[in-house]
Amino acid sequence: MAASEPATEIICQEPEVDFMLLDRIINEDFGGNRETMIMMMQAIQHEYRFLPEPALRYLSQSIGVPLTKIYEVATFYASFSLIPKGKHILQICTGTACHLRGSHRMVEHMIEKMSVSPGGTTEDMKLTLEVVNCVGACAVAPVVVEDEKYYPKADISTLDKFIERINAE
Amino acid sequence: MSQPSSAAQVADEVRRIISPADLEAYRRELLTKNDPNAPKVIVCCGTGCQASGSLDVIDAMKKAVAEAGWEGKVVPRVKRTGCHGFCSRGPLVVIEPMDLFYQQVSVDDVEEIVKTTLIGGEPIKRLLYKPPDSKEPVQRVAEIPFYSKQSRIVLKNIGKIDPFNIEDALTHGAYQALAKCLSSMGPRQVIDEVMNSKLRGRGGAGFPTGLKWDSCARVEGTRYVICNADEGDPGAFMDRSLLEGDPHSVLEGMAISAFAVGSNRGYIYCRAEYPLAVRTLTAAIKQAEAMGLLGDNIMGTDFSFKLTVSTGAGAFVCGESSALMSSLEGKVGRPRPKYIRSVEKGFRDSPSNLNNVETFANIPDIIFKGADWFKSYGTERSAGTKVFALTGNVHNVGLVEVPMGSSLREIVYGIGGGIPNKRELKAVQTGGPSGGCIPIPAKFLDINVGFGKLAEVGSMMGSGGMIVMDEDTCMVEVSRYFINFLVEESCGQCSPCREGLTRMLEILTRITQGEGREGDIQLLQEIGTFTNSFSLCGLGTSAANPVLSTIRWFPEEYEAHIREKKCPSGVCKKLFHYEIQAETCTGCGLCRRKCPVQAISGEKKKAHSIDQSLCIKCMECYKNCKFKAIKVL
Amino acid sequence: MKIIMDGNEVAATSGQTILEVARANGVRIPTLCHNDALEPAAMCRLCTVEVDEGRGPRLVTACNYPLRRDAQVFTNSERVRAGRKLIIEMLYTRCRGSELLEELGREYGADFTRFAPNDKQCIMCGLCARVCERVGGKTLTLSGRGVEITVATAFDRASEFCIACGACARICPVQTIKMIDEDGERRILVQGREASRVKLIECVSCGKRFGPVLDLKEINERAGDSKVPPPNQGVCPECSRRNLAARMAERHFEQFETGEEG
Repeated sequence: MAASEPATEIICQEPEVDFMLLDRIINEDFGGNRETMIMMMQAIQHEYRFLPEPALRYLSQSIGVPLTKIYEVATFYASFSLIPKGKHILQICTGTACHLRGSHRMVEHMIEKMSVSPGGTTEDMKLTLEVVNCVGACAVAPVVVEDEKYYPKADISTLDKFIERINAE
Repeated sequence: MSQPSSAAQVADEVRRIISPADLEAYRRELLTKNDPNAPKVIVCCGTGCQASGSLDVIDAMKKAVAEAGWEGKVVPRVKRTGCHGFCSRGPLVVIEPMDLFYQQVSVDDVEEIVKTTLIGGEPIKRLLYKPPDSKEPVQRVAEIPFYSKQSRIVLKNIGKIDPFNIEDALTHGAYQALAKCLSSMGPRQVIDEVMNSKLRGRGGAGFPTGLKWDSCARVEGTRYVICNADEGDPGAFMDRSLLEGDPHSVLEGMAISAFAVGSNRGYIYCRAEYPLAVRTLTAAIKQAEAMGLLGDNIMGTDFSFKLTVSTGAGAFVCGESSALMSSLEGKVGRPRPKYIRSVEKGFRDSPSNLNNVETFANIPDIIFKGADWFKSYGTERSAGTKVFALTGNVHNVGLVEVPMGSSLREIVYGIGGGIPNKRELKAVQTGGPSGGCIPIPAKFLDINVGFGKLAEVGSMMGSGGMIVMDEDTCMVEVSRYFINFLVEESCGQCSPCREGLTRMLEILTRITQGEGREGDIQLLQEIGTFTNSFSLCGLGTSAANPVLSTIRWFPEEYEAHIREKKCPSGVCKKLFHYEIQAETCTGCGLCRRKCPVQAISGEKKKAHSIDQSLCIKCMECYKNCKFKAIKVL
Repeated sequence: MKIIMDGNEVAATSGQTILEVARANGVRIPTLCHNDALEPAAMCRLCTVEVDEGRGPRLVTACNYPLRRDAQVFTNSERVRAGRKLIIEMLYTRCRGSELLEELGREYGADFTRFAPNDKQCIMCGLCARVCERVGGKTLTLSGRGVEITVATAFDRASEFCIACGACARICPVQTIKMIDEDGERRILVQGREASRVKLIECVSCGKRFGPVLDLKEINERAGDSKVPPPNQGVCPECSRRNLAARMAERHFEQFETGEEG
């Protein structure tokens, strides 16, 4: 989970964080309440598709929670990312039902085809591959979720079509 | 909440309920306004059906109905509902009042449904459900074994009401039980009724709900009522369907609990992976508050109860109560190292009553219909019903509600329709990643579901995931899968869980790769027993169950992997190969055509063979052979 | 309340933890993640004992289990010893060469060859992060989860919040955290990674570098009015002592002289 060296570089390249927006999230949407910090961070991540360091520093000052505590939360919960995600996010569900129906083979396929590891992003920043634990659609396993759109009973060909689409962009 | 409020359709003029009696008056008013026998087209928009495209179907349906000529006929209402449960057949469409059940409906079918069924009154045969091994389609919902063999108490409204429409919920009786509490019961009476009902927590541990409420009510301080909607077990989606399909039953259950324990503040901790559930809940709370059914001075009384939805951020361990409460406080969800119960010191170090979604959903009916009615379901020790998410290698995948004490075989065969692809049942896994595999029918012909019974055989009730495994499932690999899941989801703070899981995964991985050593089984048992007894929280103290239960019931599979370097089920790639049995092969050539790497050759109508140096063990030939001529060796 | 510990009745007051009672009565229970100055975290689980409060024996951690009713405590039962042995063996794989673990290993008959090494140079007792939160600059924290859990600073970089107090280095039971004063700087290294680098202050009196330059505001706030006049804050402890001694001697001498003359 630790933010490694290249991550730091990418963070530095990021466009500036909009502090007005952060103020709106922190103070208006959540009333500056420390207990809602996780939801504030989700809202920040929703805006930037990851958690930019300057935004977390600002959050720390705004609600008076030490930066280390915010970092701890950011690294503890699986949905938070400290590094920018790709333009498209492909989630492969590896919940039990999906696993029994071969979702691990789809993960292997993506790793091989796109040379990207689970949780990682392709060099061209087009795709982030995520392996998730159960999206609750076990009945139509195996499921892949492409940018929040569900693909039921997915297989290798579903993935190949997806790869074709993003390569064509 | 930052959730988009598009879903919250609060009517312009809201009728405020001014007394418990006023609720009943309003309900009657709604019933006379909306004829229950009016024609309706119900489109299931649960997650499963949505994944299969039901949102497109409902849009097309609305358009087609609006454009059709009705010539004096009553225009049917197109209605979206939560999950009907029969997810593997989605998208599902039910036509009322005929009770017609259409399955796997696509946008292309919509026009025909409008013309033939809605206007013409005739069923469309090809959209009807055909049970496995039967050629005759079933017309009505009530005739489908998947539904007719269930006892739907908790799920009774799901698939009937529009979750975004509180009036629809009111006509189906929502908030009647709360009105009963407020008009004619005291907090003590409510607790007694719940105690008397013998309801046990549906989150997994099975603690008597009434007893928990009673303890919480006895502790002084600001009390909180919290709903655990952090359904993290992979393969479980009961709570999700409840929240998405009938949110008011959960809200009402929480309000009743708050009334009983003396609280006016509640939280629902919901998984962030369930965005639809969060939207449904937020909308439902907003609508109920607007009508005076939640919030300040509920139904004109001096009882107030404010509810907030809080979302998790992806951590299985947050299903553990003390971790959940930490997370609710905006901190990391690590279980607290304290020998103190959360009913005494929980959220904000205050007395907190935490129950699971399904537990709360059971409450309204227990109060409204009474404990004795509730106890008429289930067994002496485990009253009521349990909702299971039936998944895995079974025909009818979906949500299943059965009385406690139902037989596992009946669930798998009667409701689930048996095992597809002519395979044999090998085991049923219950209790999520910390549950166990029950060898049915090999070691037990049958087992009844109940808290005690499942624990006896080394599994547990858990929150209700039920995964059916057929003969092609490798139990060593299954246990490796669950341990791998827990390795990632353990919070990592206590050493027995963190280190024990790491070592178990290491050993299981080497066994599945053919590098198992003599003594590995004993070592797994030693570490497993240790982890289960020395860990800090509930996750750790049940983490080794998948390993211990598979060793207990399937030792021969472990031995085959370790001693003979064979995977009898044909899953661990390094430990098996496929061979075509010359005597059974008919030479149909299907496997040859299916093989993606051209490893199979043979002349037509003569036995085929596999070139082992090319085979990638993808299972395509094995899966597709109609004559079971391909063997795992 | 009657507490019987390993067969002997011992003195205890209600609410005391098993560990407190054991220590007061000379019974040794091993611990790794415990420090009297900090809240128990019960993370290492090494202090696990069996307790029977009338409903049969069960395993609890001594560091945080409060005794409130009659109980029998078994601090060294077979079950307890077997578990401790495994904890030591597994933690040793993370931290080979640790004298503390080797000594414990001898006590519990650990076999350090059973598990493959997994060198992390840290047993994840969490003491450093907890002491940092309690007395330091809230610089160190547990990061990540599951088997990937580590001790880290925010964003894994040298922290600007560290007050270089060195409490983490001092409390670490396996000496993974190093505090190095050289070239006018103090560096704190956690598992070889730099967690902080702070300039050392030069003694205005003798010129020796003696402590980290930092904003003392927060420390003074927490310590209350320290009664140290600001000019003296730039003097090293030795000089401070010497100067004070000199002043006292001077004053005493003066007094004595004036007294005799008067």
